[in-house]
Amino acid sequence: MISVHSPIVAVGVRAVTPLAVIVAAYLFFAGHNQPGGGFAAGLVLGAVLSLRTVAGLYEPVNGSKLMAAGIMVAAAIALIPAAIGGGMLDMVVWSGELPLLGKVKTGTAAIFDLGVVLIVVGLVDSVLDGLGTDDIAIEPVTGEAR
Amino acid sequence: MPFLILFLHVVAAIAALALASRSRAVAVFVAAVAPAGAAVWGLVALLDPTTTRSSSFVWVEGLQLGFDFELSPIAALLTLAIGAIGTLIVIYAHGYFAHPEPTLGRFLATLTIFGASMLGLVWADSVWTLFLFWEATSVTSFLLVGHKNANANARIAARRALMITGAGGLVLLAGMMVLIDATGTHRLSEMAPTTGTTATIAAVLLLVAAATKSALVPAHVWLPGAMAAPTPVSAYLHSATMVKAGVILVAVVSPVLGGTDTFRVLSMTLGALTMFWGAIGALRQRDAKLILAWGTVSQLGFLVLLFGIGTAKATFAGVAVLAAHAVFKAGLFMVVGEVDVRTGTRDIDELGGLARSMPITATIAALCGLSMAGVPPLLGFPAKEAAVEAALGLAGTERLIIGGAIIAGSVLTVAYTTHFVLGVFGPSRNGTATTVSPGRAALMVPAAILACISILGWIFDGTTSKPITRAAAALNAKADVYQLINWPGATQAFFVSVAIVIVGAILGAARSRAQLRVPATIGANAADTALDQTLVLARRITARMQHGSLPVYVLTMAFVVAAVSIIFVQPALEAVGDMTVADSPGQLALALATVLAAWGCTQVDSRIGAALALGVVGLAVTGLFVVHGAPDLVLTQLLVETVIVVGFVIGLGRLRRSFPETGARWRQVRAAVAGLCAAGVAAALIAAEGAASSATAPPTERLVAEAVDEGGGNNIVNVILTDVRALDTFGEIVVLAVAALGVVALGRPALVTPKTPISPPTREEVRA
Repeated sequence: MISVHSPIVAVGVRAVTPLAVIVAAYLFFAGHNQPGGGFAAGLVLGAVLSLRTVAGLYEPVNGSKLMAAGIMVAAAIALIPAAIGGGMLDMVVWSGELPLLGKVKTGTAAIFDLGVVLIVVGLVDSVLDGLGTDDIAIEPVTGEAR
Repeated sequence: MPFLILFLHVVAAIAALALASRSRAVAVFVAAVAPAGAAVWGLVALLDPTTTRSSSFVWVEGLQLGFDFELSPIAALLTLAIGAIGTLIVIYAHGYFAHPEPTLGRFLATLTIFGASMLGLVWADSVWTLFLFWEATSVTSFLLVGHKNANANARIAARRALMITGAGGLVLLAGMMVLIDATGTHRLSEMAPTTGTTATIAAVLLLVAAATKSALVPAHVWLPGAMAAPTPVSAYLHSATMVKAGVILVAVVSPVLGGTDTFRVLSMTLGALTMFWGAIGALRQRDAKLILAWGTVSQLGFLVLLFGIGTAKATFAGVAVLAAHAVFKAGLFMVVGEVDVRTGTRDIDELGGLARSMPITATIAALCGLSMAGVPPLLGFPAKEAAVEAALGLAGTERLIIGGAIIAGSVLTVAYTTHFVLGVFGPSRNGTATTVSPGRAALMVPAAILACISILGWIFDGTTSKPITRAAAALNAKADVYQLINWPGATQAFFVSVAIVIVGAILGAARSRAQLRVPATIGANAADTALDQTLVLARRITARMQHGSLPVYVLTMAFVVAAVSIIFVQPALEAVGDMTVADSPGQLALALATVLAAWGCTQVDSRIGAALALGVVGLAVTGLFVVHGAPDLVLTQLLVETVIVVGFVIGLGRLRRSFPETGARWRQVRAAVAGLCAAGVAAALIAAEGAASSATAPPTERLVAEAVDEGGGNNIVNVILTDVRALDTFGEIVVLAVAALGVVALGRPALVTPKTPISPPTREEVRA
């Protein structure tokens, strides 16, 4: 097993998870004007996944579906403008007033960034899955060259 | 219209594939409709030559990429031949294959797609279109030759054909690019005659391509092997289609490149040699189908020779022989297929008494054979007369050499034709009569139709010559005065023809009785050996390059970096004087920390220690970013470091605590290479710094303006990532995803190891 069976680690990771998700969401939306963005948000979520895996709260799965979804989202954002007569990857910006939040501004770039998030999370999930599969024993390395 | 016909072929292929297992008759009918449609269109174009028929579909504007079709008179003639013979072949295949035949659907589908590729090739007006369909015929003919895929010989023959014609395709692409360079246009119809060095290079490349496709010496080795295909395939590929592609190429570019001596001399030499060698090969064979195969090689040489001469008369003769050959050679192959199906053998030593037991087939064979030999009353006669006249019409040395080659080649053609007809239908060696199973109409009727066309073409010589004259005139404007004449009377050429037939017949009859048996497979074996050795070499190189040792890979990369960085040493030394040691004490401290941690990483024995040292390197670099004021980089670097640490914890738990022990010398090598690499990187960085300090102002201002205007955001880095340069980001995330798949595959070695290594059959397996 790649997890450690420690109640302290488990409780700590459990407590950190919602905070980390909020941080990720913040980074995602802040990215347009301040440090952050899809890649950073995805990494935070990926770090959460890693921690939960170590704590035994999460069983990694093959993230190829998440990555495929991410690529499809990004590809759709890239191709739809071309399909409706614009240039490839033409981005649209929306701005308006929302209750409580005040003036907000977003655009198709945010959806594109969402694709990046999906791919990064899928990547981390895949790597965890590849590193930590229990049914396959990785032979200890005994020499420099095969 | 061209697109409609091609679409019809695709639909017919899919339908035939789907229907063959349910209703054979319907599948055959569907597969016959598509080529019949093409034939009708070709016929309409021949009857109404004043209308231009062209259509284009542009795919990429600026690059002139797209499909450009034009039905020139010669294309119309070939469309009729390809379509009509294709239809007959489909009907013939119905009779040829056993009932039931599980692979018939696949066969009909491939044949139909092949026919479509061939049509696209003759219609092509753009060199790109020509190349595309040329390759399509290579691939589909590979599938057709290897149709009996359980037979190792068929597979080898198909591979040989694909490798030779495929290599030719690459040469064609190169030649076409040079041709575009020489003429300034990609439209074949707009190319003006050109000479000079570029034209000479184009001529050589295009002739090499034509030689591979049309089985000219020495690339002819694939054609006899291709006889492993079912006979309908041979009858189609080696009469009206596949092998004609090279001849068509020569014919189409001869008006453009005919002015260069290289094109003329090379095509005439190749043509004459092939004509000879093919005819001699045909005389050496005892397998009826192989006689025809080598005969085809010989005829292709004859055609290239005629188009290479380049005079109006020779071009006219070339078109005439092209048309006549399509008709009689398809018929002869069909006859061989019928004999094979009904007697179970093609060996002329075993066949006997067939003239009596298969009288109709024997008549068809005799008629088609006489057309091939150039004897009246058949279409081959006026075509060969035209060729002889063209040769006699030359002047000086050329008349002697070319005329001699054509006459000698014709004598040999008559000889192998006699050899073939007597061998198959004459008495067997020991005088016994072969048992013959009952005939099938579908096997006989298509061949009979072709024999009738040969006769009718001779009788109505005026009607036949109209499209041929028109096609020749499209290639050479002066050719429009020539006609096919079914009975020329006592001309010089006629007496030459009579002599050719008499000498050839005596030679052939003598050969047919002779005991000699020579296998002519040396060339084919050489081609196969060359291919096998290439694969062996590739495997050796792969074993050398991909040896599987991770440290050696890393060392190799570091060594290359060190070697490449030699070019930066000089500018680095020049730039170093202008540099400041550090902008701030913090920067200096962080840089030292980075170097120390990196050095420490190489010195610790435990894996977790090394991982921690790497973490320190990462954090120190993060600190440098902070000092430089790059918050985005800081954030990303920190997050990446965090995730990597967790990854190390998980991964290292599965490995031993310490690194494996290695020898002292190995350590020294690694240290030396790493040092060189580091020095190289440093030199490159210093050089870059020196170059940057003297360059123009950084593009920051433009980027800021772009970010706010276009992306509507204040964080330039992210706006660049998701908007201004979103295509780059898109490419990067795809790379990321692919890398992740690779990591998963590496982590699960059991999933990616193939159960058995894949290798082609060895020579021994083939013989068995």
